[in-house]
Amino acid sequence: MLRHNLILFLRNIKKYKSTFLINIIGLSSGLACVFLIALWVLDEVQVDRFHENDEYLYQVWNKFESQEGPRVLNWTPSILAETMADKLPEVKYAVSQTIPAQFAKVPLHVNNKVIKTDGVFAGKDYFNIFSYHLIEGDKDQVLEGMNSIVISESLANQLFGSLNGVVGKVIEWDAMGMLEKHQVSGVFKDIPANSTTQFDFILPLATYKKGIIHNGGKNDWVNNNPITYILLNEETNVEEFAAKIENFSKLQDEDVTADLIMTKYSSNYLYGNFENGQQVSGRMNYVYLFSCIALFILIIACINFMNLSTSNASRRLKEIGVKRALGSKRTTLITQYFGESVMTAFISLLLALLIVFLFIPQFNIITGKVLSLSFDPLIFGLFLLIALFTGILAGSYPALHLSRFKPVTILRGQLKNSWGEIWVRKGLVIFQFSLSIILIIAVLLVSQQVVYVQSKNLGMDKDNVVYFKQEGHLRQNAEAFLKELKEVPNVVNAAMTSQNIIGTNINTTGGLVWTGNEEERRSRFKELRIGHDFIETMDMKLKEGRSFSRQFLADSAAIVFNETAIKMMGIKNPIGKTVRYGSTQYSIIGILNDFHFQSFREVVRPMFFRLNNNRSNLEFVVRIAGGTEKETLAKLKDSYAKFNPGYVFEYNFLDTDFQAQYAAEQRVASLSKYFAGLAILISCLGLFGLARYMTERRRKEISIRKVLGQSASQITMMLSMEFTKLVLIAIGIAVPVAYLLGSNWLSGFAYRIPLKGWYFIGAGCMALFVALLTVGSQAIGAANKNPVNGLKEE
Amino acid sequence: MLLQLKNVSKWVHSGGQKVFLLKDINFWVNEGDFISIMGPSGSGKSTLLNIIGMLDDFNEGEYTFLEEKVHSLKEKHRANLYKQYIGFVFQAYHLIDELTVKENLEMPLLYKKHSASERKSLVADMLDRFNIVGKKDLFPSQLSGGQQQLVGVARALIASPKLILADEPTGNLNSKQGEEIMEIFTQLNKDGVTIIQVTHSEKNMAYGSRVINLLDGKIE
Repeated sequence: MLRHNLILFLRNIKKYKSTFLINIIGLSSGLACVFLIALWVLDEVQVDRFHENDEYLYQVWNKFESQEGPRVLNWTPSILAETMADKLPEVKYAVSQTIPAQFAKVPLHVNNKVIKTDGVFAGKDYFNIFSYHLIEGDKDQVLEGMNSIVISESLANQLFGSLNGVVGKVIEWDAMGMLEKHQVSGVFKDIPANSTTQFDFILPLATYKKGIIHNGGKNDWVNNNPITYILLNEETNVEEFAAKIENFSKLQDEDVTADLIMTKYSSNYLYGNFENGQQVSGRMNYVYLFSCIALFILIIACINFMNLSTSNASRRLKEIGVKRALGSKRTTLITQYFGESVMTAFISLLLALLIVFLFIPQFNIITGKVLSLSFDPLIFGLFLLIALFTGILAGSYPALHLSRFKPVTILRGQLKNSWGEIWVRKGLVIFQFSLSIILIIAVLLVSQQVVYVQSKNLGMDKDNVVYFKQEGHLRQNAEAFLKELKEVPNVVNAAMTSQNIIGTNINTTGGLVWTGNEEERRSRFKELRIGHDFIETMDMKLKEGRSFSRQFLADSAAIVFNETAIKMMGIKNPIGKTVRYGSTQYSIIGILNDFHFQSFREVVRPMFFRLNNNRSNLEFVVRIAGGTEKETLAKLKDSYAKFNPGYVFEYNFLDTDFQAQYAAEQRVASLSKYFAGLAILISCLGLFGLARYMTERRRKEISIRKVLGQSASQITMMLSMEFTKLVLIAIGIAVPVAYLLGSNWLSGFAYRIPLKGWYFIGAGCMALFVALLTVGSQAIGAANKNPVNGLKEE
Repeated sequence: MLLQLKNVSKWVHSGGQKVFLLKDINFWVNEGDFISIMGPSGSGKSTLLNIIGMLDDFNEGEYTFLEEKVHSLKEKHRANLYKQYIGFVFQAYHLIDELTVKENLEMPLLYKKHSASERKSLVADMLDRFNIVGKKDLFPSQLSGGQQQLVGVARALIASPKLILADEPTGNLNSKQGEEIMEIFTQLNKDGVTIIQVTHSEKNMAYGSRVINLLDGKIE
């Protein structure tokens, strides 16, 4: 019997190749998509879970009350960790750690070799808390003392060529105004990709405290700097403990205004947002969203498969009827159909794995992950289960429905379809097309917004500007180097600054006092300290007054605001007026037209510039003439080498940073392109299935019409119109939904494109065109059949 | 007695009215009979045949087959009964297009408990008996109508049924092919197989030993 059924399965494939192909394409592309999402989701939920102490590993946060409600910040007092370990018996270990971004691209020197990479400062029990595996060194001791450094395996290989005898060697590093020599005390295995914290070396926190935050004294509890992690004892009641530590800092020092809250370290990745001081969702929303999409795609693919199988089953009705008449049990037929669909699903599974294999590099680029199709039994088990489930789901309708009929009914060709069934099929097509149209509109919208963001006038010129760090010898002769830079041909202008102008890292301050605002002091400003010529180099435009100038020595007490700041402060005729900041009176010398220094999601914030002292200059910005990048950069490199021997000239374009702010949008844009493509493909398969089913069902009607004199083209028109109606309904559903979703998404941008009619019309036309193409072939085929055949079989 | 129908009626509802397909049929068949059911289109011939073959239900009356009360049997039981004792021959042959002659013949055996070697020898016997050994690997579409019906008859016989039900077995054949099939039926009947055929043709009727005339669902 099995052999017989297998033969029937294979001969049917051979006979109806196109149907089989369509089934396989639909199912395998659906499965491939589901697999990719499954890989992504599995990876996502495992991030940071590899630490052995995961269950007891917590991060402690500061919670401030502010005007806008509670704000949760990861910065905590640098002595919090040691005090907690000291005073709280529930805490097994506690460490402070700086965030890697704070200490990024630090040049490390060994002999004449310089490698720039990211590092952190961390307390001595770091390796007792986190399971980063030490290859060399003792986990209790590697971060003892002031002058140790623990490096990653790959960094050790890069610096020293091998791991042999690395311990004890000296590395010189240079960052944040410090130049120090440290001795390697340990080597750790490279941090796995699914860790949110990524760095290549660790320095003792003591060094940080001494060199950067100058510990000792009252400010220890008020200044917040590193992150604090704690490892709890196993029998600790977490909730009680959380309540206990809430006012821990306040108890240590009366000036502290922050409460402490704690979150599980591994939950920070997926639940990264805080609302009212509570950890709420975050990336987990995406995990849910994509899981839903995957399920959706799978179900749609299954239903299409069912549809096609059922419509093809009419060809196999005779087989069913004969088998039933010859005494086959209903269960035998049911097993046969389930068997066939499961087999089809498994063939699709193989093809889907091939597709996943081919697309994974592209998918990794889009998602920024390092996923691979490894032969993990868990993953493959899951895939097998999904395929089995798909096969059973897809086969359920034909198996249960068709085997239900009495053999006589089938053999007489009296199989009737209820109208409800046909409406379910039509509803499905409408649903699929609505989804496709929404996705097409999404693709249009996102890409248009990205284009808009990239082409809108920023109020400054981001193009052709490079910036690089002030490090090494440049610190001593910065002014001379700047002078030399300006001499380089094709350098339009150059200046120094304390921070990068693009992005969210610019300091926020609230300590500004002006007439009419003596009491409140709550208004927050963005503050940037800059060198001379910075405003000119960035090509920002003055609305009133003047920029900083070397001719006025008093400019060290001068201040330049942006338009928004002046509007907010409500100062009339601001030029010449003064504001107090700290203990100094600053006189307002200029007002800048607003410019965008943050992404277009944000409105322009009040901002001011002050001249910096030499210590706070940390970056150079250089504008070069457009079109001369290559030769000018080569010349800049020469000058750099002259002034800063032993260092590598590493620069970035401001433009690149600007683009990076929209990485998420670009990701969404390219992902939605793929999803839209897939949705259209699956929808077309669905429509194809329906068209085939309907023409099959109406064969007799079509034959009669032809016999009565209707032409083939008229019949083609008639059939196509029927499906056009469905797509029109889909457009009617999709447009309002897309409009709502689109305006919701765009409202996340303070500066955005208007929703234009043509996005919707364009998407609708596209869907209609594709639909007609799909149905047309079927309709023409049906219309041109010999009517005699259609009638004879009755 | 092989089977007996007592006061069997079957009806459908159409526009709120009962329309009788069969009314008050009383009818019995002895083993070894060769019965022809005759009647104009729509008189209920095929319905009667299907009821006898247990492929169709009836609304009223009693049906006894080999002492078993068919009307009160469970579906599964009924299927076992007709699987064992009844073979069907259809007007449109109803061979499965995707299977070869040999595989088509083998099919009824799959639903009974026969070993593979038994099936093989039974199929070989049948091929031999109907002189179609040379055609065993061909598909139905490669055969003429007469040859297809020959396979149809062979398939009906392979499980050695007591009763063969034939619904216009020669309806799609030319007269020469028709005669051949009828000759085979006669031979089978002589060998002891009971045959009930539905037919339009007076000529085919003549092969039978008894005629039942149906008109508007009633036996004349």
